[in-house]
Amino acid sequence: MNRKFLDNDYMTLIVRLVVGGIFIYASLDKIATPAQFARIVYNYHLLPSSLINIFALVLPWVELICGIFLIVGFKQKGSILILNLLVLTFIVALTINLFRGVNIECGCFTVSSKAKSSIIDFLLRDIGLLALTLYLLISRSRRFAVAASDR
Amino acid sequence: MASSLRQALLIIIAAAVLAVATNSFSPNRIPWVGSWPSISGSDSIIVPPSYEEGDPPFISLDDAAAKYQSRGVVFIDARLPADFAVGHIKGAVNLPFDYLDQYYESVLSEYGPSDEFVIYCSGEECELSLHLGRYMMTKGFSKVFVFFGGWREWEKARLPVSAES
Repeated sequence: MNRKFLDNDYMTLIVRLVVGGIFIYASLDKIATPAQFARIVYNYHLLPSSLINIFALVLPWVELICGIFLIVGFKQKGSILILNLLVLTFIVALTINLFRGVNIECGCFTVSSKAKSSIIDFLLRDIGLLALTLYLLISRSRRFAVAASDR
Repeated sequence: MASSLRQALLIIIAAAVLAVATNSFSPNRIPWVGSWPSISGSDSIIVPPSYEEGDPPFISLDDAAAKYQSRGVVFIDARLPADFAVGHIKGAVNLPFDYLDQYYESVLSEYGPSDEFVIYCSGEECELSLHLGRYMMTKGFSKVFVFFGGWREWEKARLPVSAES
């Protein structure tokens, strides 16, 4: 892939809208029902008990802000950095639990426990998402942003 | 890179501020530092053989612990007052099923049909929680859950307990 293709303004805009939309959508259910989301975070068995609620309360807001910023084009560099780190963290957390052999609830988009699926599916989805966030990290397109100098 | 980090930090601070603001006023707010079971694998739901269609839903220890984080969810201990006095889930109210007539009015009069309840008793061999749950549903309470692992499972997981009545 050449630079021109990677830096295409329209392609970058579409990926921004998709990734931003995904994270905004993912955050809403978690913000509305923090107790259920905290239970899912607890179920990953990765954080000490005392940090579970703090993480469950702040994470969805980070997702929402980054999603909005990505779409409108404000503080994009910071948002893209965070989203890359978040998706990487999700992948690591899911992989650890895959090797532990426990099928956990993802807590990706909904806190409802009815949405059962396998860790492999969540992982594949997150790897696809990582491809998109990595692309945004690489792309140098500066158009369609409320604060172009931010990028 | 430096500006990315600075922006990222700003975003996280903004998220934290919004989280504090919403979690101070939301009806679904949870404590910042919660209590979670110290044992893992408490995800299974214990259901007694006497369970029938239409009974209140049964929940696992993990679910009970999650509901415990939510302010506004009332925990009801269906055991005898003597057992309750020895130890119970912190913040729970005692409504002994064996003395239902005596306690029912005074305990439940302050709650309405929209309130959410988690009922428990001592553990798997005890069906007081199920009976009380069934009874409360006939009285118009719809958000009634039975935590059948009960006191024993809660205590084993080192979740918050209290001994005063």
